[in-house]
Amino acid sequence: MTIITSSKNYAHPELSRSSDSSKLITAASVLGGTALAAYGITRRSWGGAALAVAGAGLALYGVNDARKPYSGKVRVGYTIGKSPEEVYAYVRNSEHWPKFLQGLAMESSGNDSLKLTFGEAAGFKVVSEAEITDEESGKFIAWSSAAGPVQHRGVVHFNPAPGKRGTEISVAFEFKAPAGPVARAVAMFVGWDPEQLVRESLRHLKELLEAGEIPTASGQPVGSRGFRGAALRVLYRETPAEDATKTRMAGD
Amino acid sequence: MKALCWQGKTDVRVETVDDPKILNPRDAIVKITRTAICGSDLHLYDGYIPTMEPGDILGHEFMGEVVEVGPEVKNLRSGDRVVVPFTIACGNCYYCKHDLWSLCDNSNPNAWIAEKMYGFSGSGLFGYSHMLGGYAGGQAQYARVPFADVGPIKISSDLRDEQVLFLSDIFPTGYMAAENCDITPGDVIAIWGCGPVGQFAIRSAFLLGAEKVIAIDRFPERLSMARDAGAEILNYSETDDIVEELKWKTGGRGPDACIDAVGMEAHGHGLAAAYDNTKQAMRVSFDRPNVLRQAIQACCKGGVVSIPGVYGGFLDKVPFGASFGKALTMKMGQTHVHRYLQPLLNRIQNGEIDPSFVVTHRMSLEEAPQAYKTFRDKQQHCIKVVLDPWDETKAA
Repeated sequence: MTIITSSKNYAHPELSRSSDSSKLITAASVLGGTALAAYGITRRSWGGAALAVAGAGLALYGVNDARKPYSGKVRVGYTIGKSPEEVYAYVRNSEHWPKFLQGLAMESSGNDSLKLTFGEAAGFKVVSEAEITDEESGKFIAWSSAAGPVQHRGVVHFNPAPGKRGTEISVAFEFKAPAGPVARAVAMFVGWDPEQLVRESLRHLKELLEAGEIPTASGQPVGSRGFRGAALRVLYRETPAEDATKTRMAGD
Repeated sequence: MKALCWQGKTDVRVETVDDPKILNPRDAIVKITRTAICGSDLHLYDGYIPTMEPGDILGHEFMGEVVEVGPEVKNLRSGDRVVVPFTIACGNCYYCKHDLWSLCDNSNPNAWIAEKMYGFSGSGLFGYSHMLGGYAGGQAQYARVPFADVGPIKISSDLRDEQVLFLSDIFPTGYMAAENCDITPGDVIAIWGCGPVGQFAIRSAFLLGAEKVIAIDRFPERLSMARDAGAEILNYSETDDIVEELKWKTGGRGPDACIDAVGMEAHGHGLAAAYDNTKQAMRVSFDRPNVLRQAIQACCKGGVVSIPGVYGGFLDKVPFGASFGKALTMKMGQTHVHRYLQPLLNRIQNGEIDPSFVVTHRMSLEEAPQAYKTFRDKQQHCIKVVLDPWDETKAA
């Protein structure tokens, strides 16, 4: 069975080839490293030799870095206790997307077009346009990115789980973002990991479909946190009880 | 409201915090009339459980009166008297549907943390670290109870609070530990740890048909309470070799099942204990498996080692060869409380058991910091502390 994951309107180069990363950092590494190595050699001493080795290492790092984009492949499976048709129908309905998607906001912009926004909460808004390239009701949805700096494509399968367990939903995709070292640093800082975001989204989807709500401990009473505790509050996604309102959807 | 908050190792304080609110449609708010301190709370108190943060509200054994329900809770109303299970479960996932409530897929908002450690996450618990949900606990005046349409059990009889409070945790825990032993008539059960869970395990073992129960501890009041239940007592501080002693007491066969109701903070003496204590102090290992080693070594061939005692991380020097060589079955885990609420309430109502026997100390929430110390150090013959969150008369 062939699933089409190439966009009809845009042609991508191979996602796994290198692309332009941060030229400044790599240039600095290569030039600085070469300069350091040259200086070390001219010193004609053991200290100089050590500097030369360090310089060469730095230059090599810069060269390697220049060739590495922020890219990867992600594969996550999850089991949900509803039939594949039910899960497919829920996922395909764009009104449900804000409820379970984690780390990204997605809108339908007509026909099979999608608009993805990453990182708005972290103040780092990145917009990506995508389109659904292939789908079969109750079976799979395939997509590919269209315009935008972040490239990605993948497929979500809805397979019957063994026994009476429901649906095995599996997400497989590959992605590439420009400015490799910078993108990686940013992702680490704001806590993005595409695989983890997909896993949390699927977890929310399962919780909504099975339990009817996403469990939360956000907005409950808490004693005095202290300075370190206040900083760590972000890690555990807490809000104080007084900010909680009945209509807030858990997992926001 | 007033609540008991964790502020660091051996530092718990009663603080004034916001009242809880309904956050999800299946929530309810319970006004707590009685709450207790659990042996596993001591692991939090002693700083052995990771992902605790200053300000976390402790407590997972509580009961009270429903004061508010979310829109999806149809079976409870304001004014209902309920006991709340310490495990939080959705009722609709594979595990809940198979009666494995403490393994619920959908009740831990921080499941990703437990997954990093264990591969998969079990259910959320009240007041037991962020790894297990970060839910505010029940050593407070009010609590928010998620999935209230599935968890709390209504008490409509006029049993006293102390008679039903322990349905929340320790009675089902002791009962499940005994049930996991697959007791058949004539069986001899050895139970390490005569704390509250051990006490209920002893009585449950007899309810389930055990012929003889051997209870192991070193504190006189705990051994005495065990003897009151009909157990044969064994003081390990007066015994050179517990394994040999148990062989002697069972005609050379060994006990048919061994219950480890002690867990990760087992005491011991000698070289093995010093080794465990050092590693735990250095946080190279979390747990001290002293009792587990003895249980495995003592158990008869083909027997069961039943483990209600809490373990957190990695164990060292566990005689797994003995376990294999004797074809032992090990059963363990957090209690599936929801499974036992109605059957055990029936037993209480039938007069088969009165769980209030285990209470030795009754204090106000204000006195809780002192209560933790008393409970941990087993001062004043303390076995179980029950707190009244609304008793204003006794300030610390």
